[in-house]
Amino acid sequence: MTAIFVLIIISLIVAVGFLVAFLWSVRNGQYKDSYTPSVRILFDNDKPSDNTHKS
Amino acid sequence: MQAQVEKEVKCYHCGDVCGKDEIVVTEKHFCCDGCKLVYEMLQENGLCTYYQLEKNPGIKLKAAQHERFSYLNDASVQSQLIQFQNNEVSKATFEIPAIHCASCIWLLENLFKLREGILGSEVNFIRKETTITYDHRAISLKQVVELLASIGYEPSISLEGAPKATNRQEKLFYYRLGVAGFAFGNIMLLSFPEYLSAGSFIEQHFVRFFAWINLILALPVFFFSSSVFFTSAYESLKRRQLNLDVPLALGILVLFGRTVFEIVAHTGAGYADSLAGLVFLLLVGRWFQGRTYERLSFERNYKHYFPVAVTRMNKGREEQVTLDKLAVGDKIVVRNEELVPADAVLLKGEANINYSFVTGEAEPVARSLGQIIFAGGRQEGCTIELQLTKQVSQSYLTGLWNHKAFEKQREDITTFSNKVSRYFTPALLLVAVLTFAYWAFTDIPKAFDAFTAILIVACPCALALSSPFLLGNAMAILGKNKLYLKDTTVIERLSAINEVVFDKTGTITLAGNKDIVYSAGVMPDDQQALVKALVRHSNHPLSSRLRQYLGNNGTYDVKQFSEVPGKGISGLVNGIKVKLGSAAFVDLTESLSGGIAETRVWVSFNGVPKGYYAFTNQYRPELKEVVAALKEHYTLSLISGDNEGEKTKLQQYFGQEVAMHFKQSPHEKLHYIEQLQQQGKKVLMLGDGLNDAGALKQSDAGISVSDNINNFSPACDAILDASQFGKLPAMLAFSRAAKTALIFGLLISGAYNAVGLYYAVQGNLSPVVAAILMPLSSVSVVAYGVMATQLLGRKYGLLGAAANAPKVNKSVANYEIQLT
Amino acid sequence: MNTNTEKFSYDNAIVRNFAIAVMLWGAVGMLVGVIAAIQMFAPHFSLGIPQTGFGRLRPLHTNAVIFAFVGNGIFMGVYYSLQRLMKARMFSDVLSRIHFWGWQLIIVAAAVTLLFGFTTGKEYAELEWPIDIAITLVWVVFGINMFGTIIKRRERHLYVAVWFYIATWITVAVLHIVNSLELPVSFLKSYPIYAGVQDALVQWWYGHNAVAFFLTTPYLGLMYYFLPKAANRPVYSYRLSIIHFWALIFIYIWAGPHHLLFTALPEWAQSLGMVFSLMLIAPSWGGMLNGLLTLRGAWDKVREEPVLKFLVVAVTAYGMATFEGPMLSIKSVNAISHYTDWTIAHVHVGALGWNGFLTFGILYWLVPKMWGTTLFSKKLANWHFWTGTMAILFYAIPMYWAGFTQSLMWKEFTPEGFLKYPNFLETVIRLVPMYQMRAAGGFLFLAGTFLMIYNLWKTAAQGRFIANEESEAPALVKNVVIHDHYWHRWIERRPIQMLVLSLIVILIGGIVEMIPTFMIKSNIPQIASVQPYTPLELQGRDIYVREGCYTCHSQMVRPFRSETERYGEYSKAGEFVYDHPFQWGSKRTGPDLHRLGGKYPDSWHYNHMFDPQSMSPGSLMPSYPWLFTQSINYASTPKKIKAMRTLGVPYAEGYENQANNDLDQQADKIVASLKSVEIEVKRDKEIIALIAYLQRLGTDIKKANPSTTAQNQ
Repeated sequence: MTAIFVLIIISLIVAVGFLVAFLWSVRNGQYKDSYTPSVRILFDNDKPSDNTHKS
Repeated sequence: MQAQVEKEVKCYHCGDVCGKDEIVVTEKHFCCDGCKLVYEMLQENGLCTYYQLEKNPGIKLKAAQHERFSYLNDASVQSQLIQFQNNEVSKATFEIPAIHCASCIWLLENLFKLREGILGSEVNFIRKETTITYDHRAISLKQVVELLASIGYEPSISLEGAPKATNRQEKLFYYRLGVAGFAFGNIMLLSFPEYLSAGSFIEQHFVRFFAWINLILALPVFFFSSSVFFTSAYESLKRRQLNLDVPLALGILVLFGRTVFEIVAHTGAGYADSLAGLVFLLLVGRWFQGRTYERLSFERNYKHYFPVAVTRMNKGREEQVTLDKLAVGDKIVVRNEELVPADAVLLKGEANINYSFVTGEAEPVARSLGQIIFAGGRQEGCTIELQLTKQVSQSYLTGLWNHKAFEKQREDITTFSNKVSRYFTPALLLVAVLTFAYWAFTDIPKAFDAFTAILIVACPCALALSSPFLLGNAMAILGKNKLYLKDTTVIERLSAINEVVFDKTGTITLAGNKDIVYSAGVMPDDQQALVKALVRHSNHPLSSRLRQYLGNNGTYDVKQFSEVPGKGISGLVNGIKVKLGSAAFVDLTESLSGGIAETRVWVSFNGVPKGYYAFTNQYRPELKEVVAALKEHYTLSLISGDNEGEKTKLQQYFGQEVAMHFKQSPHEKLHYIEQLQQQGKKVLMLGDGLNDAGALKQSDAGISVSDNINNFSPACDAILDASQFGKLPAMLAFSRAAKTALIFGLLISGAYNAVGLYYAVQGNLSPVVAAILMPLSSVSVVAYGVMATQLLGRKYGLLGAAANAPKVNKSVANYEIQLT
Repeated sequence: MNTNTEKFSYDNAIVRNFAIAVMLWGAVGMLVGVIAAIQMFAPHFSLGIPQTGFGRLRPLHTNAVIFAFVGNGIFMGVYYSLQRLMKARMFSDVLSRIHFWGWQLIIVAAAVTLLFGFTTGKEYAELEWPIDIAITLVWVVFGINMFGTIIKRRERHLYVAVWFYIATWITVAVLHIVNSLELPVSFLKSYPIYAGVQDALVQWWYGHNAVAFFLTTPYLGLMYYFLPKAANRPVYSYRLSIIHFWALIFIYIWAGPHHLLFTALPEWAQSLGMVFSLMLIAPSWGGMLNGLLTLRGAWDKVREEPVLKFLVVAVTAYGMATFEGPMLSIKSVNAISHYTDWTIAHVHVGALGWNGFLTFGILYWLVPKMWGTTLFSKKLANWHFWTGTMAILFYAIPMYWAGFTQSLMWKEFTPEGFLKYPNFLETVIRLVPMYQMRAAGGFLFLAGTFLMIYNLWKTAAQGRFIANEESEAPALVKNVVIHDHYWHRWIERRPIQMLVLSLIVILIGGIVEMIPTFMIKSNIPQIASVQPYTPLELQGRDIYVREGCYTCHSQMVRPFRSETERYGEYSKAGEFVYDHPFQWGSKRTGPDLHRLGGKYPDSWHYNHMFDPQSMSPGSLMPSYPWLFTQSINYASTPKKIKAMRTLGVPYAEGYENQANNDLDQQADKIVASLKSVEIEVKRDKEIIALIAYLQRLGTDIKKANPSTTAQNQ
């Protein structure tokens, strides 16, 4: 059953990886705002403003 | 008729009904020039999506004055507002109350299209904040703010309340939570073989391997995640107190110690799973309890409402200076809609001061030259010049904040669960020691086992969880009913109340909504017509109120109309000289009437006073039931800044026995509460204005009743949306019930500890038992806490159909979304 | 214009390419599925040629649907949404193209190799080692492209969907590599380094997580992007979606072993899988509710908007599947469901409903958008929706029914205590009507797909494709994100955590290096009497694998009376130590074969393989005529022996040189035994090898003394 050792180790590596990712995202302030992003993704009309009549 | 048609048309920008000065550009209607200008600016920059995302999303512009923001050039001000700065880039976060819909987010995040130098902007919708990064070589802080103001998103700037960048503590907390959760998940996995090995054969080398990994995973949990409990326990011990974290820390310590020992000495699998689980759940509990109302501030003092800077006359030159630089004797200029920062004497101009957020009284009062004007009043009308008689911090109102009530910090030791642990901990230690002694005679290692086992199972995790979840949920339920609590301890304080003190104006009266009574019976129609004609020409709040009262189809036109700000209006109507205004204005001396409760507008025809229109307070419709319901449990009393005029009227609501105190200064209100407390009363103060701030702060629980929770409320423990005033008794009853439920929860968790002790005392507590007992007790207690509060919520009509609870609705347009 | 504002364009061409691939491979994969479904009740439909046999079509079907249809679906959705979420064009167009063409080549290669019988014999990982390597490379390309885009993004916040993409990439990479560790014998032939129970454990750890991280997490990411977009309203609770992600991530990885309940896997490992599978309900349903509640108050929209209809059904199917899954992992339920068509029904609710419908919904939304037009025909789309929904029901219901029927028949005893249906065939024939209905359902679904392809083709035709969608956004100003403290400082100020983390890393690293040795050591025999396969049996076993016998036959007798009565003594872990790969299988269309050895004479197998119906009338098994003409590949024997020795199978040094002689000797015996019943056959024919293997199956243990058989490790 040594395969279990392997799988557990592998899984742990992955889990640690995600833990680090989590810490990063908190540090980066990713979760400071838990509402606005869900609205933001609805805007897809960030087309270039054709301000020809404007210098 | 024609007026009817106009009413249909809504302003394309702000959605207001377009009045007579409507403007039409490219089939788009605008209510005013301001709106039109904003539209044109956006349109020119290709930002019209603003109008597609939501209908009429715009904000009507305030009449902007030149140089309003020039104080933002002051380096000291900038340093307080700017969070980050290098040699080209600056970054600042502004609170923008006008943010209300998806369009706002879109426009504010597209600022860069509007103006050179804006490098980017990010909106936090719930906090109504916008963080703007800009190139300060191209655009100054002042210009950024002016840009925002010019499109209707004027930031409310206050140095006190400058939004903090990121809260380090909060982040650390999430780190702890994350680490604990991660370790918990994996340790649980690795512990299963141990639990299940009973059923089947499992090789030793697995047990060893798993145990060691568990130990490694437990290290960060112990040294990092659980450190909060140790620091808190240490703090309370330093204060010679025993809060709940003391036994918790003790339990965690022992759990860890024994785990290390067992694994290193190969005597067992240790309790890593219980350790990680315990810490994780406790942190989740704190998270649940810690969720507060980001949008609301419970700690505001006068500085949040006073201007950051004012205009000072210096050798005939106007200059912007920050408040702290003001000295007694300075001459300052106060314009329309600006606040008077400190008590001062009127030197020049017609003062017409609105004290609404000092007293809650909406009617402006006139002040004449040489009279004292108190800090906190807002000038309405022309520009005035004042000379300061007191410093800002020493003024009539602001002096409150020097009172000790504002220094003292409520100590968490007062919470119920901490009271309990005061007895819990010693008892626990006693049991542990006794058991140790008992076994020590026969079997030393067993004695140690039992000793540690007791500290492990008796660790009051269930107790520590029941209160956060129960009170946290209770707080959420009250929040749904628009009673927003500062934190969960307020519930416990509310439950202990036995005296309720009301403020009058603004608290139990409907702000700015009054009955109008004509003193001299009924005025003949022909005379009424004269008055109607006159008031039609004035925009003074009282005039417009009168207009509505009389109906606005006056026929006569008016000659020689004149308005004396803060005094009255006069004009020649149908050949008759009609005057409307203060007693003095119609050449009367007020003395003939005693204590005047209501505001009066006198009428005179050709210099002959006819009588007056009395504007009397209108009480909240629910007041009667509320008072009746509260009387059952509490003694009531009332303190008001006004005079006794309405005493009789009030007694109809409150009854004779209720103590009423009038003409109370803010300080007197505060002292009144103190006296009650000295009589051993637990006082709930209901107030609104800054003048109640002292009383609210001093009281055991201060609720600020506010018609718009977002704009103003003084320092308090809770903010009640005035529309929910009627639910107050139910809410208080709910808090009492919640407290009882809390005690019951304690009994449940106590039972678990008892079971655990049963095993522990005999010195045979297997990790499996601990592993089953710990989550079982925690989960059930959490479930109990949440369900109990839900049921109570229904019982008191705060949940379900009974409550018109604003179900959190996050459709893009709706901006009431979860203050939580 | 603003100095800091950058103009850029979104790459729609790559999205279009993947979209086309989705439709193409979707049609192919489903078509193969329908054919295989027909073969289930009309065995002659396999035409008697190797490439069209069920044993080869079924892996092709699963691989095509999972890696070609869903795979391209993932890439389509990710390449579209990631660019917009990051406000940036993909990191490198070149990498995008390499990724696209690389993946399509892999699919073609897979189709060809599988049809020609090159397979590792591990479900959903059948592809041989060169293709495994290709997959790894393309996956790395995808990774570079994705993370590159994330790094050069113009939007600070990483929307939850992006997190799901990241998790997908990392986890799939790990799973694929760990499960594909194999030792090449020749080009297109290899043996996994794990054997028996080990192999089974790794395989299903992979198998389950492939479902989790290839069919679920990426599609959840797509749901969190396309559902709000299509409904034009923010997700019900963004906070919940964040919690959903982290909870799912930390639990999913562990649920693998539940695929091996009641097998020779250790008790505790089985229970472990069960517990964690049950825990999965919470996050999964959190996600489903979050998706559905997003539409609350917009159901009127749903009524007329086909896109939303598809998405709603997809999310509902996700909910059903993620509820059923944990149920199936409960031992008592699993005892009934396992090896039956119940499993098939379960996975198809997920595949057709969740993956299929979500993909369709996205396509219907995406194509009009990218071609700057509106959908050609809403009516057709609605037709597709209804045929599709009907199809799912037509498919699932008969399969559930078949599952229960078969399971009950297997387990039914007469009052006298004998099996009610001792002849397995009875339980099979009973299912034929259900199999026919299932085929109809499958066909319906395929038809719907063609409706969509036509509809979208017309849509594209009436619009103009926007290859590059212009856009602009300000660049992220670097270093302005205010950190109260930086990570490294954070760690420096806490030496203990630093120590702990490094400890973990070192320990992990160390052990990983030891994996191969581990595996090989662990392959040493635990039951004395269990011997390595003879060269002939080894060749026969490879033929067994090649023909995909495991797709219909299990080799795992579970410890139930109903099974020991029918098949013989239940299987022990120790019996599989030389099985590279394990062949436990997951479905019993035919009976279990683990105790087949010695049950029938060689001649029975000879005739049965040539014409199954002649031996067991009504059998659904196709015939394998080519085994009687093709010759055993003698040249490969020594290589295979060597490879096996490297993997720890105790063949004596140099045995490879005499292996072929032994092979011939054993072959001669079988030829002789066949001759005795007037069957003439050359000794070098593949059928001989296969018979040798079948006769060996599960016989070792009978020679063993009871004491050693007792311990089942």
